Amino acid sequence: MGFELESAGLTHGNGFRALQRVSLRVGRGERVAVIGPSGAGKTSLIRLLGTALRPTEGRLDVLGANPWRLSAGALRRLRARIGTIHQSPPIPPRLRVVTAIHAGRLGRWPAWKGLLSLLYPVDVAGAHAALARFDLADRLFERCDRLSGGQLQRVGIARVLYQQPDLILADEPVSALDPALADAALGELVAESARSGASLFASLHAVDLALKWFPRIIGLRGGEVVFDLPTARLTDSMLHELYAAEGAMLPVQARDAAAGATTDPEADAKVIRLDTSRGR
Amino acid sequence: MNETREPCAPRGAADFCLSCVLTCALVAAAVAGSFVYLGIDFGTLFSVGAGADMARFAASFFPPDLEPDFLRKTAYGALQTFAVAMIGTLLAAAAGLLLALPAAGRHGAAAERLSRFLLNLLRSVPELVWATLMVLAAGLGPFAGVLALALHTTGVLGRLFAEAIENAPPQPEQSLLETGSGGVPAFLYGTLPLVWAQSVAYGLYRLEMNIRMAAVLGFVGAGGLGQMLYFHLSIFQQAQAATVLIAMFVLVLAVDALSDRLRAWMGHS
Repeated sequence: MGFELESAGLTHGNGFRALQRVSLRVGRGERVAVIGPSGAGKTSLIRLLGTALRPTEGRLDVLGANPWRLSAGALRRLRARIGTIHQSPPIPPRLRVVTAIHAGRLGRWPAWKGLLSLLYPVDVAGAHAALARFDLADRLFERCDRLSGGQLQRVGIARVLYQQPDLILADEPVSALDPALADAALGELVAESARSGASLFASLHAVDLALKWFPRIIGLRGGEVVFDLPTARLTDSMLHELYAAEGAMLPVQARDAAAGATTDPEADAKVIRLDTSRGR
Repeated sequence: MNETREPCAPRGAADFCLSCVLTCALVAAAVAGSFVYLGIDFGTLFSVGAGADMARFAASFFPPDLEPDFLRKTAYGALQTFAVAMIGTLLAAAAGLLLALPAAGRHGAAAERLSRFLLNLLRSVPELVWATLMVLAAGLGPFAGVLALALHTTGVLGRLFAEAIENAPPQPEQSLLETGSGGVPAFLYGTLPLVWAQSVAYGLYRLEMNIRMAAVLGFVGAGGLGQMLYFHLSIFQQAQAATVLIAMFVLVLAVDALSDRLRAWMGHS
Protein backbone atom coordinates (compact mmCIF):
# COMPACT_ATOMS: atom_id res chain seq x y z
CA MET A 1 0.00 0.00 0.00
CA GLY A 2 1.13 3.55 -0.64
CA PHE A 3 -0.77 5.49 1.97
CA GLU A 4 -4.21 5.96 3.40
CA LEU A 5 -5.82 8.96 5.03
CA GLU A 6 -9.14 8.64 6.83
CA SER A 7 -10.99 11.90 7.50
CA ALA A 8 -7.68 13.46 8.39
CA GLY A 9 -7.40 17.10 9.37
CA LEU A 10 -4.59 19.46 10.18
CA THR A 11 -4.97 22.56 12.29
CA HIS A 12 -1.86 24.69 12.67
CA GLY A 13 -0.76 26.10 16.01
CA ASN A 14 -2.21 29.49 15.11
CA GLY A 15 -5.65 27.94 14.64
CA PHE A 16 -5.56 27.89 10.85
CA ARG A 17 -7.29 24.80 9.45
CA ALA A 18 -5.00 23.71 6.62
CA LEU A 19 -6.76 20.40 5.91
CA GLN A 20 -10.10 18.91 6.90
CA ARG A 21 -11.95 15.64 6.32
CA VAL A 22 -9.38 14.38 3.84
CA SER A 23 -9.89 10.72 2.96
CA LEU A 24 -7.57 9.24 0.37
CA ARG A 25 -6.20 5.88 -0.51
CA VAL A 26 -3.28 5.53 -2.87
CA GLY A 27 -2.05 2.09 -3.75
CA ARG A 28 1.43 0.79 -4.32
CA GLY A 29 2.89 2.02 -7.59
CA GLU A 30 -0.04 4.36 -8.19
CA ARG A 31 0.62 7.82 -9.62
CA VAL A 32 -1.56 10.65 -8.38
CA ALA A 33 -1.38 14.38 -8.90
CA VAL A 34 -2.96 16.89 -6.57
CA ILE A 35 -3.94 20.26 -8.04
CA GLY A 36 -5.67 23.31 -6.68
CA PRO A 37 -5.32 27.04 -6.20
CA SER A 38 -2.51 28.35 -4.01
CA GLY A 39 -3.33 28.03 -0.34
CA ALA A 40 -5.48 24.98 -1.00
CA GLY A 41 -3.40 22.84 1.38
CA LYS A 42 -1.26 20.96 -1.14
CA THR A 43 1.97 21.52 0.75
CA SER A 44 0.33 20.70 4.09
CA LEU A 45 -0.97 17.45 2.64
CA ILE A 46 2.49 16.49 1.41
CA ARG A 47 4.11 17.38 4.71
CA LEU A 48 1.50 15.28 6.47
CA LEU A 49 2.29 12.29 4.26
CA GLY A 50 6.02 12.88 4.66
CA THR A 51 5.58 12.56 8.45
CA ALA A 52 6.90 16.09 8.88
CA LEU A 53 3.56 17.15 10.38
CA ARG A 54 1.23 15.14 12.54
CA PRO A 55 -2.48 15.12 11.66
CA THR A 56 -4.57 16.78 14.35
CA GLU A 57 -7.60 14.65 13.48
CA GLY A 58 -8.26 11.40 11.70
CA ARG A 59 -5.97 8.55 10.80
CA LEU A 60 -2.86 8.36 8.68
CA ASP A 61 -1.23 5.22 7.36
CA VAL A 62 1.97 5.44 5.33
CA LEU A 63 3.49 2.35 3.70
CA GLY A 64 1.41 0.14 5.97
CA ALA A 65 2.21 1.78 9.28
CA ASN A 66 0.90 4.59 11.43
CA PRO A 67 4.07 6.69 11.70
CA TRP A 68 3.01 8.34 14.96
CA ARG A 69 2.64 5.02 16.76
CA LEU A 70 6.12 3.80 15.80
CA SER A 71 9.20 3.77 17.96
CA ALA A 72 11.91 6.28 17.08
CA GLY A 73 13.97 3.65 15.27
CA ALA A 74 11.03 2.28 13.30
CA LEU A 75 9.96 5.82 12.35
CA ARG A 76 13.44 6.46 11.00
CA ARG A 77 13.31 3.27 8.93
CA LEU A 78 9.88 4.26 7.62
CA ARG A 79 11.08 7.77 6.76
CA ALA A 80 14.01 6.33 4.84
CA ARG A 81 11.41 4.79 2.50
CA ILE A 82 9.66 8.15 1.87
CA GLY A 83 11.33 10.59 -0.48
CA THR A 84 10.09 14.17 -0.51
CA ILE A 85 10.95 16.58 -3.32
CA HIS A 86 10.64 20.11 -1.96
CA GLN A 87 9.63 23.07 -4.07
CA SER A 88 12.83 24.92 -3.12
CA PRO A 89 15.49 22.27 -2.63
CA PRO A 90 16.75 22.36 0.97
CA ILE A 91 20.41 22.00 0.00
CA PRO A 92 23.15 24.06 1.67
CA PRO A 93 24.79 26.31 -0.97
CA ARG A 94 28.37 25.30 -0.24
CA LEU A 95 27.73 21.58 -0.57
CA ARG A 96 29.07 19.85 -3.65
CA VAL A 97 26.44 18.33 -5.92
CA VAL A 98 27.77 14.81 -5.35
CA THR A 99 27.46 15.26 -1.57
CA ALA A 100 23.97 16.72 -1.92
CA ILE A 101 22.94 13.62 -3.88
CA HIS A 102 24.54 11.26 -1.36
CA ALA A 103 22.58 12.95 1.43
CA GLY A 104 19.53 11.20 -0.03
CA ARG A 105 20.71 7.85 1.30
CA LEU A 106 21.65 8.99 4.81
CA GLY A 107 18.56 7.20 6.09
CA ARG A 108 19.75 3.89 4.63
CA TRP A 109 23.46 4.18 5.18
CA PRO A 110 25.00 3.47 8.55
CA ALA A 111 26.28 6.67 10.17
CA TRP A 112 29.95 5.85 9.49
CA LYS A 113 29.29 5.65 5.77
CA GLY A 114 27.63 9.05 5.75
CA LEU A 115 30.57 10.56 7.64
CA LEU A 116 33.09 8.87 5.37
CA SER A 117 31.31 10.19 2.30
CA LEU A 118 31.83 13.74 3.53
CA LEU A 119 35.59 13.16 3.38
CA TYR A 120 35.58 11.15 0.19
CA PRO A 121 32.44 10.46 -1.89
CA VAL A 122 31.74 6.74 -1.54
CA ASP A 123 29.40 6.24 -4.49
CA VAL A 124 30.41 8.55 -7.32
CA ALA A 125 28.96 6.22 -9.94
CA GLY A 126 25.53 6.15 -8.31
CA ALA A 127 25.36 9.92 -7.96
CA HIS A 128 26.56 10.28 -11.55
CA ALA A 129 23.81 7.99 -12.79
CA ALA A 130 21.13 9.87 -10.85
CA LEU A 131 22.30 13.19 -12.27
CA ALA A 132 22.64 11.86 -15.80
CA ARG A 133 18.89 11.31 -15.89
CA PHE A 134 18.48 15.07 -15.59
CA ASP A 135 21.30 16.08 -17.94
CA LEU A 136 23.43 17.29 -15.04
CA ALA A 137 26.16 14.65 -14.99
CA ASP A 138 28.81 17.24 -15.82
CA ARG A 139 27.93 19.17 -12.65
CA LEU A 140 28.80 16.30 -10.31
CA PHE A 141 31.60 18.08 -8.44
CA GLU A 142 30.26 21.61 -8.80
CA ARG A 143 29.26 23.53 -5.71
CA CYS A 144 25.50 23.90 -5.41
CA ASP A 145 25.63 27.70 -5.24
CA ARG A 146 27.11 27.71 -8.73
CA LEU A 147 23.95 26.12 -10.15
CA SER A 148 20.94 27.97 -11.50
CA GLY A 149 17.59 27.66 -9.75
CA GLY A 150 16.36 25.16 -12.30
CA GLN A 151 19.52 23.06 -12.06
CA LEU A 152 19.28 23.02 -8.28
CA GLN A 153 15.67 21.89 -8.44
CA ARG A 154 16.72 19.00 -10.68
CA VAL A 155 19.50 18.12 -8.22
CA GLY A 156 16.78 17.99 -5.55
CA ILE A 157 14.78 15.54 -7.68
CA ALA A 158 17.87 13.47 -8.46
CA ARG A 159 18.62 13.23 -4.73
CA VAL A 160 15.22 11.70 -4.06
CA LEU A 161 15.56 9.23 -6.93
CA TYR A 162 18.98 8.28 -5.54
CA GLN A 163 17.27 7.62 -2.21
CA GLN A 164 15.20 4.88 -3.94
CA PRO A 165 12.08 5.46 -1.84
CA ASP A 166 8.92 3.37 -1.91
CA LEU A 167 6.81 6.52 -1.80
CA ILE A 168 7.81 9.63 -3.75
CA LEU A 169 6.17 12.83 -2.57
CA ALA A 170 6.73 15.86 -4.75
CA ASP A 171 5.72 19.40 -3.79
CA GLU A 172 5.62 21.44 -7.01
CA PRO A 173 8.74 19.61 -8.18
CA VAL A 174 9.15 21.44 -11.49
CA SER A 175 8.09 24.99 -10.55
CA ALA A 176 11.51 26.47 -11.43
CA LEU A 177 11.92 24.66 -14.75
CA ASP A 178 11.04 25.87 -18.21
CA PRO A 179 8.26 23.93 -19.98
CA ALA A 180 10.49 21.50 -21.86
CA LEU A 181 12.62 20.66 -18.83
CA ALA A 182 9.58 20.46 -16.56
CA ASP A 183 8.00 17.95 -18.88
CA ALA A 184 11.18 15.90 -19.12
CA ALA A 185 11.71 15.92 -15.35
CA LEU A 186 8.14 14.78 -14.67
CA GLY A 187 8.57 12.07 -17.28
CA GLU A 188 11.66 10.90 -15.41
CA LEU A 189 9.74 10.77 -12.13
CA VAL A 190 6.95 8.78 -13.74
CA ALA A 191 9.46 6.43 -15.33
CA GLU A 192 11.14 5.88 -11.97
CA SER A 193 7.80 5.09 -10.37
CA ALA A 194 7.01 2.63 -13.14
CA ARG A 195 10.43 1.00 -12.87
CA SER A 196 10.68 0.67 -9.09
CA GLY A 197 6.99 0.33 -8.26
CA ALA A 198 7.13 3.35 -5.97
CA SER A 199 3.95 5.33 -5.49
CA LEU A 200 4.18 8.87 -6.81
CA PHE A 201 2.16 11.66 -5.25
CA ALA A 202 2.87 15.09 -6.70
CA SER A 203 1.33 18.50 -6.21
CA LEU A 204 1.44 20.53 -9.39
CA HIS A 205 0.64 24.11 -10.20
CA ALA A 206 0.38 23.43 -13.92
CA VAL A 207 -2.83 21.62 -14.75
CA ASP A 208 -1.69 20.52 -18.21
CA LEU A 209 1.29 18.64 -16.77
CA ALA A 210 -0.94 16.88 -14.26
CA LEU A 211 -3.36 15.83 -16.97
CA LYS A 212 -0.57 14.61 -19.21
CA TRP A 213 1.43 12.49 -16.78
CA PHE A 214 -0.99 11.28 -14.12
CA PRO A 215 -3.85 8.79 -14.46
CA ARG A 216 -5.57 10.08 -11.33
CA ILE A 217 -6.09 13.67 -10.22
CA ILE A 218 -7.15 15.05 -6.88
CA GLY A 219 -8.57 18.56 -6.68
CA LEU A 220 -7.95 20.35 -3.40
CA ARG A 221 -9.50 23.63 -2.35
CA GLY A 222 -9.71 25.25 1.07
CA GLY A 223 -8.13 22.19 2.67
CA GLU A 224 -10.84 19.83 1.36
CA VAL A 225 -10.87 17.30 -1.45
CA VAL A 226 -13.18 18.64 -4.18
CA PHE A 227 -12.77 15.73 -6.57
CA ASP A 228 -10.73 12.54 -6.80
CA LEU A 229 -11.11 11.07 -10.27
CA PRO A 230 -9.37 9.20 -13.06
CA THR A 231 -7.99 11.78 -15.47
CA ALA A 232 -10.27 10.58 -18.26
CA ARG A 233 -13.39 11.45 -16.29
CA LEU A 234 -12.26 14.95 -15.44
CA THR A 235 -14.20 17.68 -17.22
CA ASP A 236 -13.22 21.23 -18.10
CA SER A 237 -15.98 22.66 -15.94
CA MET A 238 -14.66 20.81 -12.89
CA LEU A 239 -11.23 22.30 -13.44
CA HIS A 240 -12.60 25.79 -13.96
CA GLU A 241 -14.69 25.48 -10.84
CA LEU A 242 -11.62 24.41 -8.85
CA TYR A 243 -9.74 27.51 -9.91
CA ALA A 244 -12.77 29.81 -9.89
CA ALA A 245 -11.16 32.17 -7.39
CA GLU A 246 -8.06 32.61 -9.57
CA GLY A 247 -9.82 33.93 -12.65
CA ALA A 248 -11.02 32.44 -15.88
CA MET A 249 -7.76 30.87 -16.99
CA LEU A 250 -6.36 27.60 -15.77
CA PRO A 251 -2.74 27.72 -14.62
CA VAL A 252 -0.73 25.77 -17.16
CA GLN A 253 2.97 25.29 -17.66
CA ALA A 254 3.07 25.75 -21.40
CA ARG A 255 1.35 29.12 -21.48
CA ASP A 256 4.53 30.83 -20.26
CA ALA A 257 6.15 29.85 -23.53
CA ALA A 258 3.14 30.84 -25.64
CA ALA A 259 3.22 34.40 -24.29
CA GLY A 260 -0.31 34.72 -23.01
CA ALA A 261 -2.23 32.99 -25.77
CA THR A 262 -5.68 32.01 -24.54
CA THR A 263 -5.72 28.76 -26.44
CA ASP A 264 -2.37 27.16 -26.88
CA PRO A 265 -2.43 24.11 -29.08
CA GLU A 266 0.92 25.28 -30.38
CA ALA A 267 2.48 25.17 -26.95
CA ASP A 268 0.97 21.78 -26.28
CA ALA A 269 2.46 20.51 -29.49
CA LYS A 270 5.80 21.92 -28.44
CA VAL A 271 5.76 20.08 -25.13
CA ILE A 272 4.96 16.83 -26.82
CA ARG A 273 7.56 17.30 -29.47
CA LEU A 274 10.30 17.96 -26.90
CA ASP A 275 9.03 15.05 -24.93
CA THR A 276 9.45 12.65 -27.79
CA SER A 277 12.93 13.97 -28.40
CA ARG A 278 13.95 13.19 -24.86
CA GLY A 279 15.31 9.87 -26.02
CA ARG A 280 13.85 7.80 -23.17
CA MET B 1 3.00 67.69 -1.11
CA ASN B 2 5.62 69.90 0.53
CA GLU B 3 3.40 70.72 3.44
CA THR B 4 3.38 67.19 4.81
CA ARG B 5 6.60 67.09 6.77
CA GLU B 6 8.09 63.94 8.15
CA PRO B 7 7.61 63.85 11.91
CA CYS B 8 11.34 63.31 12.56
CA ALA B 9 12.64 65.98 10.18
CA PRO B 10 14.92 68.64 11.76
CA ARG B 11 13.18 71.91 12.41
CA GLY B 12 16.11 74.18 11.62
CA ALA B 13 18.74 75.91 13.71
CA ALA B 14 16.16 77.08 16.22
CA ASP B 15 15.75 73.48 17.35
CA PHE B 16 18.44 73.76 20.02
CA CYS B 17 19.63 70.42 21.41
CA LEU B 18 20.00 71.03 25.14
CA SER B 19 20.79 67.41 26.05
CA CYS B 20 23.59 67.27 23.42
CA VAL B 21 25.31 70.32 24.92
CA LEU B 22 24.87 69.01 28.44
CA THR B 23 26.32 65.63 27.49
CA CYS B 24 29.34 67.23 25.83
CA ALA B 25 29.94 69.44 28.86
CA LEU B 26 29.69 66.44 31.21
CA VAL B 27 32.17 64.41 29.14
CA ALA B 28 34.61 67.33 29.03
CA ALA B 29 34.31 67.78 32.79
CA ALA B 30 34.90 64.05 33.36
CA VAL B 31 38.03 64.09 31.20
CA ALA B 32 39.43 67.13 32.97
CA GLY B 33 38.59 65.60 36.36
CA SER B 34 40.37 62.36 35.42
CA PHE B 35 43.57 64.21 34.54
CA VAL B 36 43.56 66.02 37.87
CA TYR B 37 42.69 62.88 39.85
CA LEU B 38 45.37 60.70 38.21
CA GLY B 39 47.99 63.42 38.39
CA ILE B 40 48.89 63.11 34.72
CA ASP B 41 51.51 65.70 33.89
CA PHE B 42 52.33 65.97 30.19
CA GLY B 43 54.77 68.73 31.04
CA THR B 44 57.35 66.37 32.55
CA LEU B 45 56.71 63.77 29.84
CA PHE B 46 57.67 66.19 27.10
CA SER B 47 60.47 67.99 28.94
CA VAL B 48 63.99 68.02 27.50
CA GLY B 49 65.39 65.83 30.27
CA ALA B 50 62.69 63.20 29.86
CA GLY B 51 63.20 63.15 26.10
CA ALA B 52 66.91 62.50 26.55
CA ASP B 53 66.17 59.71 29.06
CA MET B 54 63.76 58.07 26.66
CA ALA B 55 66.24 58.32 23.80
CA ARG B 56 68.93 56.70 25.98
CA PHE B 57 66.59 53.91 27.00
CA ALA B 58 65.49 53.28 23.42
CA ALA B 59 69.09 53.33 22.21
CA SER B 60 70.09 50.70 24.80
CA PHE B 61 67.97 48.18 22.81
CA PHE B 62 70.30 48.57 19.84
CA PRO B 63 71.95 46.76 18.32
CA PRO B 64 69.79 43.65 18.94
CA ASP B 65 71.67 40.49 19.95
CA LEU B 66 72.13 38.54 16.71
CA GLU B 67 74.47 35.82 18.01
CA PRO B 68 73.56 32.56 16.23
CA ASP B 69 73.13 30.84 19.57
CA PHE B 70 70.68 33.42 20.84
CA LEU B 71 68.86 33.55 17.52
CA ARG B 72 68.33 29.81 17.73
CA LYS B 73 66.96 30.22 21.24
CA THR B 74 64.63 32.98 20.04
CA ALA B 75 63.44 30.91 17.10
CA TYR B 76 62.66 28.08 19.50
CA GLY B 77 60.74 30.53 21.69
CA ALA B 78 58.79 31.79 18.67
CA LEU B 79 57.94 28.23 17.69
CA GLN B 80 56.77 27.55 21.21
CA THR B 81 54.56 30.65 21.21
CA PHE B 82 53.11 29.66 17.85
CA ALA B 83 52.45 26.11 19.08
CA VAL B 84 50.78 27.38 22.26
CA ALA B 85 48.46 29.64 20.26
CA MET B 86 47.73 26.95 17.66
CA ILE B 87 46.95 24.15 20.08
CA GLY B 88 45.06 26.48 22.38
CA THR B 89 42.87 27.67 19.49
CA LEU B 90 42.32 24.17 18.10
CA LEU B 91 41.29 22.79 21.48
CA ALA B 92 39.01 25.79 21.93
CA ALA B 93 37.44 25.30 18.49
CA ALA B 94 36.67 21.64 19.27
CA ALA B 95 35.32 22.36 22.75
CA GLY B 96 33.51 25.45 21.48
CA LEU B 97 31.70 23.43 18.81
CA LEU B 98 30.68 20.79 21.37
CA LEU B 99 29.30 23.47 23.70
CA ALA B 100 27.77 25.47 20.84
CA LEU B 101 25.37 22.64 19.93
CA PRO B 102 23.51 22.69 23.26
CA ALA B 103 23.98 26.47 23.51
CA ALA B 104 22.11 26.86 20.21
CA GLY B 105 19.12 25.22 21.90
CA ARG B 106 19.33 21.90 20.09
CA HIS B 107 19.20 19.72 23.20
CA GLY B 108 16.53 21.33 25.29
CA ALA B 109 16.20 24.43 27.41
CA ALA B 110 18.10 23.10 30.44
CA ALA B 111 21.16 22.13 28.39
CA GLU B 112 20.97 25.48 26.60
CA ARG B 113 21.00 27.48 29.81
CA LEU B 114 23.76 25.37 31.35
CA SER B 115 26.07 25.54 28.34
CA ARG B 116 25.44 29.26 27.88
CA PHE B 117 26.34 29.84 31.52
CA LEU B 118 29.50 27.81 31.07
CA LEU B 119 30.48 29.73 27.93
CA ASN B 120 29.85 33.06 29.65
CA LEU B 121 31.96 31.97 32.62
CA LEU B 122 34.86 30.86 30.41
CA ARG B 123 34.67 34.02 28.36
CA SER B 124 34.38 36.52 31.19
CA VAL B 125 37.66 35.45 32.82
CA PRO B 126 40.52 37.04 30.82
CA GLU B 127 43.37 34.92 29.44
CA LEU B 128 45.90 36.43 31.83
CA VAL B 129 43.81 35.44 34.84
CA TRP B 130 43.30 31.95 33.45
CA ALA B 131 47.06 31.76 32.88
CA THR B 132 47.83 32.74 36.47
CA LEU B 133 45.39 30.08 37.69
CA MET B 134 46.76 27.46 35.28
CA VAL B 135 50.35 28.17 36.28
CA LEU B 136 49.28 27.39 39.82
CA ALA B 137 47.44 24.25 38.70
CA ALA B 138 49.71 22.86 35.98
CA GLY B 139 53.04 24.46 36.83
CA LEU B 140 55.21 26.90 34.90
CA GLY B 141 55.54 26.35 31.16
CA PRO B 142 53.73 26.26 27.84
CA PHE B 143 51.10 23.75 28.99
CA ALA B 144 49.64 26.36 31.34
CA GLY B 145 49.59 28.80 28.42
CA VAL B 146 47.73 26.32 26.20
CA LEU B 147 45.12 25.69 28.89
CA ALA B 148 44.65 29.39 29.55
CA LEU B 149 44.12 30.22 25.88
CA ALA B 150 41.91 27.19 25.32
CA LEU B 151 39.63 28.03 28.25
CA HIS B 152 39.04 31.66 27.35
CA THR B 153 38.80 31.04 23.59
CA THR B 154 36.32 28.20 24.13
CA GLY B 155 33.99 30.73 25.67
CA VAL B 156 34.41 33.16 22.77
CA LEU B 157 34.25 30.66 19.90
CA GLY B 158 31.47 28.64 21.53
CA ARG B 159 29.23 31.67 21.63
CA LEU B 160 30.06 32.67 18.04
CA PHE B 161 29.48 29.11 16.77
CA ALA B 162 26.21 28.88 18.68
CA GLU B 163 24.98 32.08 17.07
CA ALA B 164 25.99 30.87 13.61
CA ILE B 165 24.14 27.58 14.17
CA GLU B 166 21.06 29.35 15.49
CA ASN B 167 20.94 31.69 12.52
CA ALA B 168 21.37 28.96 9.92
CA PRO B 169 18.13 28.04 8.12
CA PRO B 170 16.75 24.78 9.58
CA GLN B 171 15.22 23.29 6.40
CA PRO B 172 18.27 21.39 5.07
CA GLU B 173 18.81 19.47 8.29
CA GLN B 174 15.08 19.04 8.86
CA SER B 175 14.59 17.57 5.40
CA LEU B 176 17.34 15.03 6.04
CA LEU B 177 15.78 14.00 9.36
CA GLU B 178 12.58 13.49 7.38
CA THR B 179 14.34 10.99 5.15
CA GLY B 180 15.28 8.95 8.20
CA SER B 181 18.81 10.24 8.65
CA GLY B 182 20.40 10.07 12.09
CA GLY B 183 20.95 13.26 14.02
CA VAL B 184 24.72 13.48 13.55
CA PRO B 185 24.80 12.92 9.76
CA ALA B 186 21.84 15.27 9.35
CA PHE B 187 23.77 18.00 11.18
CA LEU B 188 26.93 17.35 9.19
CA TYR B 189 25.15 17.36 5.81
CA GLY B 190 22.47 19.93 6.57
CA THR B 191 23.75 22.57 8.98
CA LEU B 192 27.54 22.33 9.13
CA PRO B 193 28.01 23.32 5.44
CA LEU B 194 26.00 26.46 6.23
CA VAL B 195 28.16 27.51 9.16
CA TRP B 196 31.62 26.08 8.70
CA ALA B 197 33.09 28.80 6.48
CA GLN B 198 32.09 31.48 8.94
CA SER B 199 33.25 29.36 11.86
CA VAL B 200 36.69 28.75 10.35
CA ALA B 201 36.99 32.50 9.72
CA TYR B 202 36.18 33.13 13.40
CA GLY B 203 38.75 30.51 14.39
CA LEU B 204 41.49 32.10 12.26
CA TYR B 205 40.71 35.51 13.68
CA ARG B 206 40.99 34.15 17.21
CA LEU B 207 44.27 32.45 16.22
CA GLU B 208 45.69 35.84 15.27
CA MET B 209 44.62 37.28 18.61
CA ASN B 210 45.94 34.25 20.47
CA ILE B 211 49.40 34.60 18.90
CA ARG B 212 49.64 38.07 20.42
CA MET B 213 48.14 36.85 23.66
CA ALA B 214 50.47 33.82 23.85
CA ALA B 215 53.42 36.22 23.69
CA VAL B 216 52.03 38.15 26.66
CA LEU B 217 51.14 35.03 28.65
CA GLY B 218 54.87 34.26 28.92
CA PHE B 219 55.05 37.11 31.44
CA VAL B 220 53.20 35.00 33.99
CA GLY B 221 55.39 32.00 33.28
CA ALA B 222 53.59 30.31 30.39
CA GLY B 223 56.69 29.85 28.20
CA GLY B 224 57.57 31.10 24.74
CA LEU B 225 58.72 34.52 23.61
CA GLY B 226 56.95 36.30 26.45
CA GLN B 227 58.86 34.43 29.10
CA MET B 228 62.15 35.24 27.33
CA LEU B 229 61.21 38.91 27.07
CA TYR B 230 60.29 39.08 30.73
CA PHE B 231 63.51 37.33 31.74
CA HIS B 232 65.85 39.55 29.71
CA LEU B 233 64.09 42.78 30.58
CA SER B 234 64.18 42.04 34.28
CA ILE B 235 67.97 41.62 34.21
CA PHE B 236 68.39 44.68 31.95
CA GLN B 237 69.60 42.77 28.88
CA GLN B 238 68.00 45.16 26.41
CA ALA B 239 69.87 43.82 23.37
CA GLN B 240 68.39 40.35 23.89
CA ALA B 241 64.97 41.85 24.64
CA ALA B 242 65.14 43.73 21.34
CA THR B 243 65.73 40.48 19.44
CA VAL B 244 62.72 38.91 21.16
CA LEU B 245 60.56 41.92 20.37
CA ILE B 246 61.54 41.71 16.71
CA ALA B 247 60.73 37.99 16.70
CA MET B 248 57.28 38.72 18.15
CA PHE B 249 56.68 41.33 15.49
CA VAL B 250 57.70 38.95 12.69
CA LEU B 251 55.61 36.10 14.11
CA VAL B 252 52.48 38.23 14.40
CA LEU B 253 52.92 39.59 10.87
CA ALA B 254 53.50 36.10 9.45
CA VAL B 255 50.42 34.61 11.11
CA ASP B 256 48.24 37.56 10.09
CA ALA B 257 49.37 37.21 6.49
CA LEU B 258 48.82 33.46 6.55
CA SER B 259 45.32 33.70 7.96
CA ASP B 260 44.44 36.49 5.50
CA ARG B 261 45.51 34.20 2.68
CA LEU B 262 43.50 31.30 4.09
CA ARG B 263 40.38 33.38 4.50
CA ALA B 264 40.66 34.79 1.00
CA TRP B 265 41.14 31.29 -0.37
CA MET B 266 38.09 30.03 1.52
CA GLY B 267 36.01 32.86 0.20
CA HIS B 268 36.82 31.81 -3.36
CA SER B 269 36.57 28.05 -3.23
